[in-house]
Amino acid sequence: MSSVIELDEICLGWRDKMAVRDLSGRFLRGSLTAVVGPNGAGKSTLLRGIMGWVSLLAGRIRFCGRSGDDVAFMPQQGDFDASFPITTREFVAMGAWRRVGPWRGFSFRERDRLEEALAAVGLADFGRRPLATLSGGQLQRALFARLMLHDADIYMLDEPFSALDRATTEDLMALLEAWHAQGKTVIAVLHDLDLVRKHFPQTLLLAGQGVAWGPTEDVLTPENLHLARHLCAGDYL
Amino acid sequence: MNGIEALYLPFAEFGFMRRAMAGAFALSLAAGPLGVFLILRRMSLMGDAMAHAILPGVAVGFLTAGLSITAMTIGGMVTGLVVALLAAAVSRLTPQREDASFAAFYLMSLGVGVLLISLRGGNMELIHVLFGSVLALDDAALMLVSSASSVTLLALAIIYRPLVLECLDPLFLRSESRAGPVVHAVFLMLLVLTLVSGFQVLGTLMVVGIMMLPAAAARFWAISVVGQMAIAAFGGAFSSYVGLLLSYYANVPASPAIILCAGIVYFLSVTFGLQGGLWQAARRAHARSLRLSRNRERDVLGKQ
Amino acid sequence: MKSDKNLAWQPSATRRRLLGWGGLSLGLAAMPARALTREPLPVVATFSILGDMVKEIGGERVQLTTIVGPNMDAHNYEPTPNDAKALLQAKVLVLNGLDFEPWLPRLVQASGFKGKQVLASQGVQVRRMSSEHAHEHHAHGKSEGKPGSAKEANGARGDVDPHAWQDLSNGKIYVQNITEGLSKADPRNAAYYETRANGYLTRMKTLDTEVRAAIASIPPEKRRVISSHDAFGYFGAAYGIEFIPISGLSNEAEASARDLAAIIQAAREADVGGIFIENMGNPALAQQVARETGILMGGTLYADALSPPDQPAATYLGMLSWNAGRLVYVLKQSTAAN
Repeated sequence: MSSVIELDEICLGWRDKMAVRDLSGRFLRGSLTAVVGPNGAGKSTLLRGIMGWVSLLAGRIRFCGRSGDDVAFMPQQGDFDASFPITTREFVAMGAWRRVGPWRGFSFRERDRLEEALAAVGLADFGRRPLATLSGGQLQRALFARLMLHDADIYMLDEPFSALDRATTEDLMALLEAWHAQGKTVIAVLHDLDLVRKHFPQTLLLAGQGVAWGPTEDVLTPENLHLARHLCAGDYL
Repeated sequence: MNGIEALYLPFAEFGFMRRAMAGAFALSLAAGPLGVFLILRRMSLMGDAMAHAILPGVAVGFLTAGLSITAMTIGGMVTGLVVALLAAAVSRLTPQREDASFAAFYLMSLGVGVLLISLRGGNMELIHVLFGSVLALDDAALMLVSSASSVTLLALAIIYRPLVLECLDPLFLRSESRAGPVVHAVFLMLLVLTLVSGFQVLGTLMVVGIMMLPAAAARFWAISVVGQMAIAAFGGAFSSYVGLLLSYYANVPASPAIILCAGIVYFLSVTFGLQGGLWQAARRAHARSLRLSRNRERDVLGKQ
Repeated sequence: MKSDKNLAWQPSATRRRLLGWGGLSLGLAAMPARALTREPLPVVATFSILGDMVKEIGGERVQLTTIVGPNMDAHNYEPTPNDAKALLQAKVLVLNGLDFEPWLPRLVQASGFKGKQVLASQGVQVRRMSSEHAHEHHAHGKSEGKPGSAKEANGARGDVDPHAWQDLSNGKIYVQNITEGLSKADPRNAAYYETRANGYLTRMKTLDTEVRAAIASIPPEKRRVISSHDAFGYFGAAYGIEFIPISGLSNEAEASARDLAAIIQAAREADVGGIFIENMGNPALAQQVARETGILMGGTLYADALSPPDQPAATYLGMLSWNAGRLVYVLKQSTAAN
């Protein structure tokens, strides 16, 4: 399998803090990878660094393969303003930005895709509801719907299942697996190691530095987890 | 003069009333929507800060060319943008946050502005710049306000989607396009343009009032962004109309009268607004408690 | 011999007396010369018009400091430390009185001024202002904003019209008062001041005659104008022009729509020949009135202060000449137009 994103001894951070140090490795095309690690391990920072939003202090990040690989990013719920006066449908519709742009109207085809996405996440009746009235779980589903509409090649998700119940998590996990089956590359930051072991073939264990990267059963060993815990100085998985 | 006539006669009789209305109207149409966006971006105090930041530019224009509108406009725009850029630079290059750096720069700017104006004119010139002269709008001022307003509305229409995204989910916008900083810059420029053109009408102190008060009131009547923008625009126009009538009949200065009317409209919106107003909340609470007590009765009766 | 030597060195009694008297007379002769080159009399005038008068009368024998300079607003002036310093060093203070300088009592007290105060308007027949202008002076006081300031205290008594100098016959009284004051403070130069004052008064009389003649050339029923500051009561009464003041449009108070409407209405009804703004008001509002009523904009009339040296009203006589000239010019034009 070819790689889609290659990291070469990268250091990511800000003036006074280095969040990720000396990380090397590659994400394979079409892989389903979990990024795990203790709190403060730099997982979110890694994703944002790959998106180009955090300064690359050293090393290189390479996007290989087809030029114009489309990357879609799902932020955490705290990263955007859910109280903004916008309906759920309008929010999800933003996913079509790449195709519709700032000014073009929504064609019938786009509208159909929008409805499909809403239905796929179980929000078919919620289109008219203001975003602010959605519960945490519903909001997360809306984020998934938006990502669906984007129809990207690479999906990067920052803690997509935090504060969700088991049932919702399983439903949305099915979506990720569907994308994986379609050959898309999925990278997700997660905390729930059972979920990772159950569904994710690849795992990157991060603790400021790369601890282990590869097949999940090889990475999530007690030794590695112990090491990661210590590297992150006292935070627990 | 009967009641209905009282509402339009002053405007029919006096040209200056018509001009004042036209100028304030044009200003409200642009200021309201901008105010809505400022509120949505949690930048409500930025409008006031920016109005003060612009002062030295207006002062320099005033010093070099007297009450020349072109000079003051250009001066104001340049200064506003310089302050915004400096604040952004400081916050980017140092640990200082953007709101703190902006506060520092706009306060410095205000001091410089007051100093410059006092140098030339003395107090009454300062007061004219501070309070504006909505009753003395000449053709040039009207022209400026109208064109600034048109440009602002047009630009808002063009950048509407990216602007909304930039307020709501800037990370998403960043991942989709590089329009983010451009849109931010354009928005700031529109803000400065509206404030500078609004100087002539309401003065530096009050122009922010016509921007923020109707916008703050709008959220009690409309849910969507466009709805709020429309309500803010017409709310401002309505406040201007009533304020001018108040100035006419109650013999009070015009621009504070307009802002006070806007304030009353806000107060009424908080109380009676259909989207989260106090009266409606009280009504709903009352209905809820009635429902609950009725349910309790039914349960009690059912058990018997 | 010893006694002979001593005698040879000592001057004789006669010689001693001669030397003594010679030295004394030389000293006495030197004294008037010193008086001539004595330092000029330091005088402080409260504002530019008084300053001009003092300069005319005192010439180079006075060292003049003016507190409120050309084009500045004496009603709302805020004294600076330099003013206090100049006042302390002065021997004479020339003030207008009639509540024109509400900030002065505090300044005098703060500076520790011990010299002579000359009330220029002493003996002038005082006019009362119209009620509208009284309102305006209340506004002067109120908008200062400092509680308990001298301005606010004087605001309540603001129905006296302080602009007495607008009538040249009052100007004569001013000059006489100032001359007397300077002479009392500096008696050595009294004759000098007297001479200069007489020359000044002559010029004043000539101007007065000219102004009366020029205004007489306009039919009486046309002698009506609107002015943006009620400072011309004395001028109007003396020379026969009716000034309709625009109240609420001057210096501090922001205009209300009603005030503006009232003026436009009055202008429409009153058949005035011109609208004048003084050098300190907000020109935009008066222009609005002109635009709406079609009445000629007369330009600037100088009321409370002289203009800077490069403009026509840089001296007291220049100011009155200019004002009269503009008024006549505009009234003639509107008479011709009708």
